[in-house]
Amino acid sequence: MASRDASALEAFYDQYNRIAFTLVFRIVKVREDAEDVLTDVFWQVWQQAGRYDTSRGKPLAWLLTIARTRAIDRLRSGGRRGDEIELDAQLVPESAERQQDPFVLAGIKRAVSKCMDALPEAQRKALEMAYFEGMSQTEIADALKQPLGTMKDRIRTGMMHLRKCLKPYEAPL
Amino acid sequence: MKHLQMTEDLQETAILYAAGALGETERREYARHLDEDNCDACRAEVLEFEAAAQSLAVSLPMQTPSESVKKRLMAQAEALSAMPLPRQERKGSFFALAGWLTAAASVLVLVIVLSSNTTLRSQVDDLKSRVVDLENQIGTQKSLLASLTSPDIRIINLAGQGATPKARARILWDEPAHNWHVRITGLPQAASARSYQMWFVPKTGNPVSARVFNTNPDGSAEMEIAVPAEVTTLMAAAVTDEPAGGRPQPTGGFVLLGNTE
Repeated sequence: MASRDASALEAFYDQYNRIAFTLVFRIVKVREDAEDVLTDVFWQVWQQAGRYDTSRGKPLAWLLTIARTRAIDRLRSGGRRGDEIELDAQLVPESAERQQDPFVLAGIKRAVSKCMDALPEAQRKALEMAYFEGMSQTEIADALKQPLGTMKDRIRTGMMHLRKCLKPYEAPL
Repeated sequence: MKHLQMTEDLQETAILYAAGALGETERREYARHLDEDNCDACRAEVLEFEAAAQSLAVSLPMQTPSESVKKRLMAQAEALSAMPLPRQERKGSFFALAGWLTAAASVLVLVIVLSSNTTLRSQVDDLKSRVVDLENQIGTQKSLLASLTSPDIRIINLAGQGATPKARARILWDEPAHNWHVRITGLPQAASARSYQMWFVPKTGNPVSARVFNTNPDGSAEMEIAVPAEVTTLMAAAVTDEPAGGRPQPTGGFVLLGNTE
C-alpha cells in the first residue's frame, strides 16, 4: 500500500472497513456522515501508508486511531446533529451481522464483551464519553457533576481493568 | 524529555491520552512528547492502553457501510494511480512536459545510434518500449496542460493572512461548469471547537458560505465546491476561522484571502 497500489488499498478496505465504520458510526451517529468520514479515513491511510511505522502499533490500531480522530473532528465541526438522530445500530439484525464478524469468528468479541461486562457502569460511562464523544476529563466531570479527581480515577481504573482483562487473549489490535 | 521508567503519574497521562480524555492543549503537548522526545517508555504504555480503549469499538455490534463508499474510494485511488506524478503541483506541468519531451528525444537518439549494433538490439527493444511509455505520459501531461490553459478555467491564488502567513491555496474555477477545485497547503488544523469556512465574496452584497471544513494533519485540504448559479461577479475568495460548524456570515479573522482579478 505504501507504493500507492490501488489493489492493496482494496484488500485493506475489504478487511477492515466494517470495524472502522462501526467505530466512526458510533461517534458521528449519522450514516451519511459516517460514510463520508470512512472514505476520508481510508484515503488518509493510503496517502500516509509510506510513513506507517510498525513500532507504533499494528495496522488495525493505526487505522482505528485515524478513524476515531477523523470522526471526532467531524463531530466537533458540526454537520448534522448526530445526538438528535437515533442510531440505527439497533435496526441491524445483529445475528445476521455476527455471521460475518471476524472478531466473533476469532472469539475475540466474546473476550472483549466479558471484560466490558465486568466493568462497573460508572467507569464504562466515563470511558465511553471520552472515547466515543471526544470529551475531556474536565468536560466529563462537569457533565456528570462529579469532582475531576473522581473522574480521573474512574477512567484510570476502567482502562487498567480492560488492559489486565484482555491481556491473556491474543490482542487483535 | 525522554523517560527511563514508568511512574504512576506518567502512566495516568498515558491512560488519559489513550482514552482520549486529555484536554486539547495537554493532548497536543503529550503527542509532541511521544513524537519528538522519542520516549519509548511512554509510547509502549500508550500502545497498550490504546489497544484497551479500542476494545470499546470491538465490543459494538458490527455495522456495514454501503457499497458506494468502496466505489467512491477506489475510483479516487485508481484515478490517482493512473497519474504519472501523483503529487506534483499542476503549475509544474509545463516544465514536466518539457522534461518528458527532452527525455523522449534522448531515448530516440540513443535508439538510432544503438540500432546499428546488432549486439545491442535487445537494448533497443527495451528503449523503444520506454519511448512508448513516455509518449503515453506526455499524452497525460498534455491533457493536464490543456485543462490549465483552457479559457474556461480561472485561477484564484489565496495567500495566508494573520496568524497563518504560510498558508496557501489555489482555486481552479471552471465557470461554465460552476465548479471550484480547491487545493490548500500549509494551513494547520483548526483549533478545538473551531472550523474553517470558505466564502464567495461578491462585488456587491454579503459573502456567501462555500464550505465549512478542516485541514488534514499535514495542513492540506483538497475539495470540489459547486458554485451557486447566482455567484457570477466575484471580488474575492476567502477563508475565515469560525466557531465549529461555521456561521451564516463571517465572524472570525481571515486565514486565507485572494482577489479574483
